[in-house]
Amino acid sequence: MATDAMTTDAAALARQWMDADAPASPESYLQAGRRRFLRNRVGLAALGVLGLLVVTAVAAPVLTTYDPNVGVPADRLLPIGADGHLVGTDEQGRDMLTRLFYGGRLSLIAGLTPVLIATVIGTFLGSIAGYLGGWVAAIVMRTMDMFYAFPAVLLAIAISASLGPGLVNVIISMTIIYIAPIARVAEAATRKIVTAEFIEAARLTGAGTPRIIATQVLANIFSPIFVYASGLVGLSIVIAASLSFLGLGVKPPDAEWGFMLNSLRGTIYVNPWVAALPGLFIFATSISFNMLADALRDALDVKD
Amino acid sequence: MATIIGRRVAMAIPTLFGVSILIWLLLSILPGDPLAFLLPQDATPADREQLSADLGLDRPLVVRYVSWVGDVMTGDFGYSPFRRRDVSELIATAWTNTAILAGVSAVFGLTIGVAAGTLAGVYRGSLIDRAVTGLAIVGLSVPSFWIGILLLILFSAQWGLLPAGGIGSLEDGYLDYAKHLVMPVIAGSLITIAITARVTRASIVETYQLEFVDLLRAKGLREYQVLLHVSKNAMSPVLTTAGLQIGYLLGGSVLIETIFSWPGLGQLVFNAISARDLLVVQATTLVIAVTFVLLNLAVDILQIAFDPRQKAAG
Repeated sequence: MATDAMTTDAAALARQWMDADAPASPESYLQAGRRRFLRNRVGLAALGVLGLLVVTAVAAPVLTTYDPNVGVPADRLLPIGADGHLVGTDEQGRDMLTRLFYGGRLSLIAGLTPVLIATVIGTFLGSIAGYLGGWVAAIVMRTMDMFYAFPAVLLAIAISASLGPGLVNVIISMTIIYIAPIARVAEAATRKIVTAEFIEAARLTGAGTPRIIATQVLANIFSPIFVYASGLVGLSIVIAASLSFLGLGVKPPDAEWGFMLNSLRGTIYVNPWVAALPGLFIFATSISFNMLADALRDALDVKD
Repeated sequence: MATIIGRRVAMAIPTLFGVSILIWLLLSILPGDPLAFLLPQDATPADREQLSADLGLDRPLVVRYVSWVGDVMTGDFGYSPFRRRDVSELIATAWTNTAILAGVSAVFGLTIGVAAGTLAGVYRGSLIDRAVTGLAIVGLSVPSFWIGILLLILFSAQWGLLPAGGIGSLEDGYLDYAKHLVMPVIAGSLITIAITARVTRASIVETYQLEFVDLLRAKGLREYQVLLHVSKNAMSPVLTTAGLQIGYLLGGSVLIETIFSWPGLGQLVFNAISARDLLVVQATTLVIAVTFVLLNLAVDILQIAFDPRQKAAG
């Protein structure tokens, strides 16, 4: 047995020795991930669609000459393909395409920001709980469990309703509901590596807890958190639009897809397909993020 | 087994208290003046203090929380000055309507989800599998309120086949009642179908890889008999997700009920939000959350009861 282990060790060492001299250096984890991602056609297509949506949102003032918030009363409820209005106009005579482009700004911001903030807070809480364990973990994680007692959308609605309408309050309420699941992922990932030798080694060099978490733990729990958070974005786009749809988000006349869908709801008997357009944009954004997240998970090879 | 169930029930009690604290804090500490709507325009500071004392708002937070929980436990959710009714009365009617909608949606969504997921899992890698997996991603990404509006455009505005909203009355016959249910059920249960199909497929695929399947085949069982054994063993994660799904249906009911004017808890919340009637928002959120916790408790108990390992453990 012992000699067996020694010979395989020797073989591995020899291979390493040879590899060190090889002209091509072995690719890193992230390089391998990028290579696998670039081979995934669905993922690339999703990235393309999202790129397009971001460009139309950012470059809206260049792409269209209409004012997103002021309409021409005479041009109300024009159908798709009307003269000068490629996809028609809304109930106040505003150009739909213009409002869809501008609406992307607030919809994307409202969907993405909560995930970003919650990822930072959740990772912080989860990694500390996972690393320290004991009563710290008990307090943090049991508090997080409380949030699991609610259907997420309902909790977001309740928080948003208490804070009052407004985009900032929508972002706050959604951030609150995402912290718990991200903290769980971070805690589980941290617990998995906390007994690893490299952590032990860092401790032996005299590094303190904050330093170990910052330099060793975070780098090693990055992938599962990144994959989980990217999977949340698609859902987040829909929830943000839902809250706006319910009147908790932007105030008129600002353009936002969920809110536009709600204000056009009454026009489906007159101008049905124009009314459905904002939903199409929400759907396209959400499904692209979900497909991108699947591609990232495959590329980074993270098991659920 | 009884002790395990007992422990699980005991675990739900702190959760319920946590839920009540969270909801109560949400609506007690957050900004917004609860008296603003109740006082006349020309109220003096003395009037304000009087009303505050009448409502007990001058007492310390802990005392107010305890008295609130006491009231809630006896079914007293307060009085809604906007609706001029007791909140508990509003909630009782709405709860029944939501339970009907969520119940039908759950049965519909879970049945289709399990069927699609099983098909995909059995014929892994086939065209059916790819179709189900693809449609599941669509179902996960599509906003339910958009599907609701698309259904309204097609079936109500264009073809005039289904009523645009409201709840049917049983006096008009079961058919009329069912017609009112069709669109809200489809729009609401799409995400349930998607998630259930995904979980079922994954669980079936995983179970087929276990060794006992080889044994069953070696014994000469036919493929459908093997499937019977496999699906029995693959049930546990599906059951867990089913409990969560019903909760999501309750939460998502706010959107669906608003679009289809279904007079349930969701519509009650929506109208209360618009009127800033926070007492109703608070009570409704609490009722839904408690229903959700109890449902998941029931699912966990079912799991334990069905698990032969737990039975053996006594």
